[in-house]
Amino acid sequence: MLLSSIWQYVLAGVVVGAIYALVAAGFVLIYQVTGIINFAQGEFTMIGAMTAASLAAAGMPLPLAALLAVLAAAVVGALCYLLAIRPAAKATGVTLIFITLGLDVAIRGAGLFVWGTNPLSLNAFSSGTAITIFGGVLPPQAPWVLATDLVVFAGLYLFFRHTYAGTAVRAAVANPPIASTFGIPLRAFAFWSFVVAAAIGGLGGVVIAPIQSPTFDMGLNLGLAGFVAAVLGGLDSLPGALLGGFVLGIVENVAGGLLSTGWEEGIGFLILVIVLVLRPQGLLGRAARRA
Amino acid sequence: MLLRSTAYGRIGVLLLLVVAVAAWLLPPYYTGLIALVGLYSLVTIGLNLFMGYAGQVSLGQAAFFGIGAYGSAVLATRYGVSPWIGTIVGAILAAVVAYALSFVALRLRENLLALATLALGIVIGVVFSQWDYLGGTSGIKGIPGFALGPHLFGLRDYAVLAFAVLAIGVWFAGNLVRSSFGRALIAVSAGELGAQALGVDAERLRRQTFVLSAVYAGVAGGIYASYQSYIDPTQFGFLLSVQFVLMSVIGGIRSLWGAVIGAAVVVALGQVLQAVVPLVLPSARGDFQQFFLGIILVAMLILLPRGIAGRLAEGRA
Amino acid sequence: MTAGAPASTATLAVRGVTMRFGGVVAVDDVAFTARGGEVLGVMGPNGAGKTTLFNVISGVQRPTAGSVELDGTVLTGMSVDRVAGHGVTRTFQTPVMFWGLTVRESVAVALAARETGRVYPPPPVHGLVPSGLGLPGRRARDEALREQADALLAAAGIAHMGDRVTESLAFGEERLLEMTRALAMGPRVLLLDEPLSGLNPDEIADVIRAVRAARADGIAVLLVEHAVGELLGVADRVVVLDHGRTIAQGDPKAIAADPVVIDAYLGDELE
Repeated sequence: MLLSSIWQYVLAGVVVGAIYALVAAGFVLIYQVTGIINFAQGEFTMIGAMTAASLAAAGMPLPLAALLAVLAAAVVGALCYLLAIRPAAKATGVTLIFITLGLDVAIRGAGLFVWGTNPLSLNAFSSGTAITIFGGVLPPQAPWVLATDLVVFAGLYLFFRHTYAGTAVRAAVANPPIASTFGIPLRAFAFWSFVVAAAIGGLGGVVIAPIQSPTFDMGLNLGLAGFVAAVLGGLDSLPGALLGGFVLGIVENVAGGLLSTGWEEGIGFLILVIVLVLRPQGLLGRAARRA
Repeated sequence: MLLRSTAYGRIGVLLLLVVAVAAWLLPPYYTGLIALVGLYSLVTIGLNLFMGYAGQVSLGQAAFFGIGAYGSAVLATRYGVSPWIGTIVGAILAAVVAYALSFVALRLRENLLALATLALGIVIGVVFSQWDYLGGTSGIKGIPGFALGPHLFGLRDYAVLAFAVLAIGVWFAGNLVRSSFGRALIAVSAGELGAQALGVDAERLRRQTFVLSAVYAGVAGGIYASYQSYIDPTQFGFLLSVQFVLMSVIGGIRSLWGAVIGAAVVVALGQVLQAVVPLVLPSARGDFQQFFLGIILVAMLILLPRGIAGRLAEGRA
Repeated sequence: MTAGAPASTATLAVRGVTMRFGGVVAVDDVAFTARGGEVLGVMGPNGAGKTTLFNVISGVQRPTAGSVELDGTVLTGMSVDRVAGHGVTRTFQTPVMFWGLTVRESVAVALAARETGRVYPPPPVHGLVPSGLGLPGRRARDEALREQADALLAAAGIAHMGDRVTESLAFGEERLLEMTRALAMGPRVLLLDEPLSGLNPDEIADVIRAVRAARADGIAVLLVEHAVGELLGVADRVVVLDHGRTIAQGDPKAIAADPVVIDAYLGDELE
């Protein structure tokens, strides 16, 4: 009996973990390209979810609503970079942290203005009953979530490994001054990293909306979970983001199921602290130990 | 250093007198706000010592504020301990927790330190809401107020108390900052390796400062609990930590008077927003100040990175 | 004149220090001894491992193998501040300045550490609390530190700079300040990492004078310097590194004539 409960928690954890992985991916992407920890990452997911839900509720067909939602998130990401990050180009790391913090609060507040406090809802993309695996139940939306993860991470992998642009980005990340002497446009890369990270986050939001009722403040928890997942996996590792997302989702859900949901929030952060102390480079990251 | 005023103590007393007079003249609602500004300023001074002088980041200050509040509240409601003592115990508790956490958190650099303090702040918040001994999600009601003999504190008294404690806090911090301890802090934040090569144990210095900032927050929290007479976990969350950071940034993170300016600005702003926004956007509900606070934080950091006090000091130079 | 001669002459022993970064061996089984009251020059072409060696000795990096001892106390594995606490201090290729402090205050930081037994801060009851309370005893001691700092600045010939903020210093002034600061903490071993680079002849003379004064005070001075002429002029003994290995050790005149050394420097200018 207990085993089947745990399995159910694991399955739920896999689904939510897939979203954590997407948030973490956006986080890692921006960090890798710009060195900035973007506290506002979770809000892109919120924008995707809320936009899709409200457009669909207004009668728009789902694919169009989804597309516009992702675009909306991408636009917000672009604005964040252009209005807040670029002007602060010479700022110290601490200042940049506070700036993204401010952006996080501002975007969430804007969400409150636009949509109010009521939760929205979105229908699952495919109708049908729940899917059973080994006695555990997955909501019908689950395959969409997992498929999105697959597409996004595969796409990122192909981009970075097999395209010229991706290689250029990796060069820029490895050695910015030299890269710029080769004419590699660091600023443009920074801009696009924000846009793509926002789009990925927004897509995650669209896809998770049927499972987690979108609300204006969903970004906070998702963002924080995404950070934990990214640090857990390794801030310099995209595959780490995927692994970290799933590990966090599963551990959180199992612990929350076995203990009580109230502690769920705390579990993630305890994990974060443990990782930061024992293995700051995360599971798959490279240890950058300069004295 | 900004505002090289050697008169921290005297200005603090002057400010206290101003507040005392204002408290008697103004309607109670505004007196209550003044008390709040005083308490928030106290927390922010501690934060400025850690962020502005030690050059670190803390996104969990609200947690220490909460530990002070809960410590005093529990002692008062369950064991009948006077809030005067309860506040001191709450501050000591906050110090102890800060000390323990410092071994974990302070080994990390900027970004990761920010995340760690954020995480620890949230974990402590979860403890507040999950531990039944602390009242769980409902919090603690009916917290006894401060009293001097038979006289129970009213809003005016809290305003005066807050600024009296603030005056002491500013005086202490002012002395500290101008002593060899303060110089060592600046040295470590400006050139850590250079300072270490002279024999300065940077981690220990930061630890002591971190614990001190928790004491400031804890004292403010203890007074806050009695002032509010009701506390619950939602009051000590991440958003409050962000507000403290905002107060610090607006005032100038390396300025002690900036802490008061920042706290006053944020509280005043909150009031203005609450009054004005529903007129402009009638559909706005809930805690909409968030949006503006976020925008202001970003704008401040881009336009006035050294805060208001920094700007004043530059103008003077 | 420095802040006071140490009681006994120090012996710094570098034993078989090796530093490996991945596939690169930056320092390869280097061994030598430095004694108080002598200037040991550390020479070598670019990339020879000199700064890495200093990093190991000062505790910035931990060696892959080997050890560093000061009078029998093993320093390897200690943090930078604890190594400094045992009396080993250093300057850096790019001077580390404490922006936000004045010149006098920068020197006072070194003196404060020395006052508490060379590791700062003391327990709160001796440091933080009395400072915050403004206790007269603490205040008097802080005032004494300021006066001591002034005395040191005067001895170094930079008393006029005392009130200037370190942000406003020229490069040469920064180097002098860093040196005065290092000497202020009363070290037994002083590591100078290219202290002459970027200086004009007058400033070079000032630094060489300070090095000689430190030697006279019984400090063991280790000097890494690219200006080979100056180095050979002030050093009592010289160690030459190339690709991380010691290729020669001994008397400066012999080193200058050593064909192995000259060969290693081929392409570099020997003054």
